[in-house]
Formats: sequence, C-alpha cells, structure tokens
Amino acid sequence: MAIEMIMPKVDMDQETGTVVEWLKSDGQSVEEGEVILVIETDKIAIDVESPGSGILNGISAIPGDVVPIGTVIAFILAEGEELPDQPAKAVEPAQADPPPQVSDPVPATQDVSATPVARKMAQSQGVDLSTIKGSGSGGKITKADVEAALGSAMPLSPGDILASPAARRIARVKDINLGLVKGTGPGGRIQGFDVEAYIPSKSQVGLPALSSPPIGDSIPLIGMRKKIAERLTESYQSIPHIQFTSRVDMSNFIKARNDYNELALKRGDEKISVTAMLVKMVGMILADHRMLNSSIIDDKIMVHPDINIGVAVALEEGLIVPVVKNADQKGISQIAVESSDLVNRARQEKLTNADVKGGTFTITNLGPFGVEQFNAIINPPEAGILAIGATTSEVVATPDGAIAVRPIMRFTLSADHRIVDGAVAARFIADLKTTLENPVLMNY
Amino acid sequence: MREITYLEAVREAMTQEMERDPRVFMIGEDIGEYGGAFQVSYGMLEKFGPERILDTPITELTLTGAATGAALIGMRPIAEIMFMDFTTLASEQLVNQAAKLRFMFGGQSTVPLVLRTPAGSGTGAAEHHSQSFENWFVHVPGLKVVMPTTPYDVKGLLVSSIRDDNPVVFIEHKLLYKTKGDVPEELYEIPLGKADVKREGKDLTIVATAIMVQRSLQAAEELAKEGLDIEVVDPRTLRPLDTETIVNSVKKTGKVLIVHEAVKTGGFGGELAGVIAESEAFGYLEAPIIRLAGREVPIPYNRNLEQKSVPQVEDIIEKARELATLKV
Repeated sequence: MAIEMIMPKVDMDQETGTVVEWLKSDGQSVEEGEVILVIETDKIAIDVESPGSGILNGISAIPGDVVPIGTVIAFILAEGEELPDQPAKAVEPAQADPPPQVSDPVPATQDVSATPVARKMAQSQGVDLSTIKGSGSGGKITKADVEAALGSAMPLSPGDILASPAARRIARVKDINLGLVKGTGPGGRIQGFDVEAYIPSKSQVGLPALSSPPIGDSIPLIGMRKKIAERLTESYQSIPHIQFTSRVDMSNFIKARNDYNELALKRGDEKISVTAMLVKMVGMILADHRMLNSSIIDDKIMVHPDINIGVAVALEEGLIVPVVKNADQKGISQIAVESSDLVNRARQEKLTNADVKGGTFTITNLGPFGVEQFNAIINPPEAGILAIGATTSEVVATPDGAIAVRPIMRFTLSADHRIVDGAVAARFIADLKTTLENPVLMNY
Repeated sequence: MREITYLEAVREAMTQEMERDPRVFMIGEDIGEYGGAFQVSYGMLEKFGPERILDTPITELTLTGAATGAALIGMRPIAEIMFMDFTTLASEQLVNQAAKLRFMFGGQSTVPLVLRTPAGSGTGAAEHHSQSFENWFVHVPGLKVVMPTTPYDVKGLLVSSIRDDNPVVFIEHKLLYKTKGDVPEELYEIPLGKADVKREGKDLTIVATAIMVQRSLQAAEELAKEGLDIEVVDPRTLRPLDTETIVNSVKKTGKVLIVHEAVKTGGFGGELAGVIAESEAFGYLEAPIIRLAGREVPIPYNRNLEQKSVPQVEDIIEKARELATLKV
C-alpha cells in the first residue's frame, strides 16, 4: 500500500511550508525515519523524515514551492508497486487541532490478527501491520514482532535515552539535548553530573566563515533568504524607525567580565560572554522601560509581560535570531549557558521552533567584525533593536579635565516611533549606559 | 548526661507521666507481678498499685477494648501488647473502634490511647514472636504510628504519644531494649511527625526504621572508610510522616536506600518510595529507589535462617555501596 508523504505542520500558526531540498529523488529507496526532505516555515528549516520504508516516488513539489500543510507531496511505494491512480486528495489544513505529524500513523489494518498492544504500537510508530509476520498463537502479531520490525529504524524519542531523573531535570533547565551527552552510569545511563559536565561545543572566538557567492549565477530567493527579504522590507517600509547612539566607557564592564570568568573557571561553569552580560543588562533595564518591550498588534500596543531577548546570529546563508526567554529573571551564568548553546545550535542549524519564537527585543552585535557603529532594522513585531559596535581604545577627556585612553563602545537603539518617543528611548539609553559603565548595578 | 538503656527510658517516660497525670495508667498481660515480658514495667506495680498497673488475662482484644473505652471517658491508658504479633488480635478494637471514634463522634470525643508493643526478630523467638506489622497500622487513618530507635527518642516520643489525643501505636524493637544512650532525667517531648537525620552525608540517603537505623549507622561508618559519605534518616514517626526531611535529604544525595525489617512486599518502604517519587525529589534522583527489607518468609526459628531473613549490617553495606557508587 502506498504511503502518503504530506507537507507537515510543525508550527502552531503554520499554514504552508516551503520545499527547500529533497535529499532523495524519485526512484530511490528510503528507510522509515530517514531524513529525506528539508522544508521551511516562516521561522525555521525542518528536516522531514520518511513516513515509511520503500521507494520514493511521485514527488509533486519542487524546491521553492510553497505547499499548504497536509498536501500529499510524494509517496513511498513497496517494491514493484505502482503510483496510486488518482492523486491523493489534499488533506484539509488543520486549524487549531494538534498537527498531523510527518510520521503519522498508517492506519492499522483491522483484519490483521494482532494483540492490542502490538496494534497500538504499530499505529503510534506508523508501521503497517500487514507487513509483519506474527509469532503469537495463530500467527497473531505481538509487541515483540512490532519491535523487531521497527528495529533500528525506530526513531529516538526522549524516553529512549537512558538518563536519571536528575539528568533530565538539569538538561531541561539548561536546555541541553540529552542525546548529545555521554552517560557514565550503569548501562551508559546519563547521570546529573554528566549533564553538568557537558559543555556545548565552545563558541568560536573567530567569526563564522562565509563562503563566497557563485559569481554570475542567479541565486533563487527562497527559504531563509526570502524570509529575511520579506520581513526586513516590511519592517523598514512600515515602521518609522528612530535611532539613538550613545558612547560608553567599557572599563568596568571588562573588569566585571574578567571577575565573572575567574569565578566561572573555578567553578567549571560556562564562560560569561559579552553577549550574556548584554542580554542580562538589557533584560533588566527593559523591565523598567516596558514600552520598548511591546508590540503594535491590531491597532493596540501590547505591552509584553515577558522579556525575551533575541540574539542575532550570522549564518553562512543569512541570519537567525534565537531567543533567551525571561532574560530579566535569569542569573548571568544561566544566560551564558543558554546563549552559548543557542548560538552554537544556530550555527549547526539545530535550533528548534521554540528557540526562535517569542522574542520581544533584539540585540545585534557587529563589534567582533570591527564595526564601530551601525543602525539595525527592527525585527517585527518588536519595538526596538540594539546594535552593538566594537569596543576600541579611544582618547577621552576625563571628568577632571585630563586626557585618558579608555575602551569605548558605541551602541545604537532603533525604536519604533509609533510606540517609543524620543524621551522614552533616551531614558532607556541613559539607564543602559549607566549600567554598562557600572555593571555592579546589575545586582541592585 | 546520664546514660540509660532504651528499656529504662520507656519505663521512665511512663513512670514520670503517671506521676504527673493521674489519668495515665497501664493495662496489659504480665505487666504487674511479673514486671512485663521484657521487664519494661519492672517495679511499677509496687510504685503505683494494682489500680494503675492493671494485669489482664491473655485477652488482647478485651484489654484493647477496655483501654479504648477508658480513653473515651477521659483516661489516658497505655496498653501493652506483649508481642506485636498479637496486635492481630487487638486489631478489631484498635482499627475499627479506636481509630474511628473521633471521626464518628464528629470530634466530640477523642481516644488518647497508647498501644505499646515490641516488634522485630533476632531473639530466636520464631514465627509468632518476631514480626514487624507497622505498615498494617500505617494504613489506617486515625492512628498514629511511632517507631523510636534510641533511648533519647523513645522517652521523648512516648511522652508525646501519651499526651496526644489520638490513638498511637508505639512500636519498640526488642533488640533495642538493651542499647544505651544519653537521656535527660526531666520530662521532655519530641513532636510526632518529625524525622531525625541520624548521620549527615552527601553520597546516599538511607531511610531506615527501628533496628535498621542502628545497622545503617554501622554500615555508614564502615563505608566511610571507603570514602563514602552516607546520610541516615530516621523517620521516627511513620504516620504522620515527615516528608520534608526525607525529600530534602534525597534532593541532596540523589540516591536513596530504604531499609526496614518488615517483609518488603506491602511494607513501609513502598510507601516511602512512593512519597519520594511523587515529590520534587524525583527530579534529583540519580538512580532507582532501592528497598532492602525482610524476605518473603515467616521469621524462621533456626538462628542462621533468622538472620538471613532480615537485613544485616553486611547486606546494608553491600547495597549502599552499590547505590552510592552508582552500580545500579
């Protein structure tokens, strides 16, 4: 029986998906659970697994196609099987109900003799019972048969990872994927201290390498590139941006960061990055400047209760903005762990939908590139974005009239003037400048 | 401080409470002339006379019923059941009457009864004189269940039990009677429902009851030589249970071994494991919750078999080592 492959719904408000790339083509054999397709939603690229094992055929959506969710875009056929006569009817896009998953159940055939648990298992794992030979009495298919049929093709679910409850709790808190952690307990069980010891691969001090574009070729404006183009055009055309630049003496900031890192080193904690400190400070200050943490939605200004700071990360083919949630309420070491993990996973293209959702304010830092000052475009529907420049030694006049060399950094706030007036932005900037110059105020 | 035995501490608590409060009296088999099967009430008949030290025939049901009735009309009886094995006979009055009456009378009457009884094996007393039935009574709302493990605890907990307005099953362990410890001469109370951390440690929590507390402490000392730092928690009161102390300990160590003498199946260890698994301590567990308890047999008469049937120090050392070093 031909297995339908549909455009999956992976996001709550998703109505369509864009085909980015087929990793297998018509006529190639595929295994259930194997990643055979990359699609893209408004927010992120998603790997799509094959819903069954067999021959991929009848691909009806090519890269760049925008397809309503639930639409059949290919079939998985058994050996020698023909494509179904009629194109399968497109499934109505689900509305509020939970999304049909890619690996949604193949209906278990009722005329096959199977135990209830085997039937349930087959259904949840998308196994066609008619393809399994039963070993129970009278050829009845048992749980063991289904397990055997699933074999190594069985997708890894969190329950398949052997980990102590403590390890699971810590992984949850630190947002670490347990699948990446090596267990040292009995039978390879991941213990709490294994997770504590796990450090997501260190962020590169250098800059991510950018490959040169194919000169003379035209690059299709699809996927992430298209999304960036659409969003930024819309933002720049519809939001009246106002910009404010301020200059800060980073001496105390640098000292504070060194002190934090001495402590972090002693404790074996994640290094405190500049990003982590900026996220913490901005999060804290936004709590006193709520208009900068709001959005215009349907002719109303929605003042967000949560302060979720997006951190722009440059990627080879664009940029992505993972979000540190509730930044005002988290400790600096926790933010350091979370932001480092998010940045790493962004570069490895391993962010999940949840990682990039819910942002209320964005920070973008081109300081490492040597940019001294720049204006950023607001990431809608947010009300502001903070552009961080490089910290460089500059000659400055000290308050007592002397001349000194100090580490100076310039930052620029772009704000939505519909929400934020100049004086409102100025007060935010004054508080931010004061805190950057006196990081001890973070503890106030 | 003055050192006395567990047995003397029980006697002293009863004596001082009887001196303080004329409503307190004892009722039981062989407690007067004979001084009690374990000599707990030795000399008390001479001191208080036969009206307050009431010898009864071998009638556990009747004496428990009489004590329940006395408690209902304002007395504060201490009933002694010579061996916990025979609380089976007293159970009807204890479980179906004493535990229920306060509720059935809408709180207008209380049953301030203490039912004292020695439990446990290790004396070669075989099947009918060696059992640990604490969990039978833990299961009954309306009863409190106390299991003290040191001379200091037994005095303070018995005083609190006598003063409590609810029926209390007060379980003493035969092998603890001769153990010695510091006990203040004056009266003092230890609140029911408050556990005691008998030894602090960070590698493993042992929650143990009765004689198993002492054995766990010995095991912990042995394991300390291997560099393992074991915490021993003594609930002291099984109902009401001090969940907080246990949960905090498990959160600290991430590993828990439960040790009791009663048979494992249906024993208090299951309740403890459930309490821990349901609590916030769950997210701190680094290993399965392990129970070490009595084997699924009646306590044998043969001394070797008797020892094999309940956890010994070596058994605790072995299991605790496995858990603390994450071999399980």
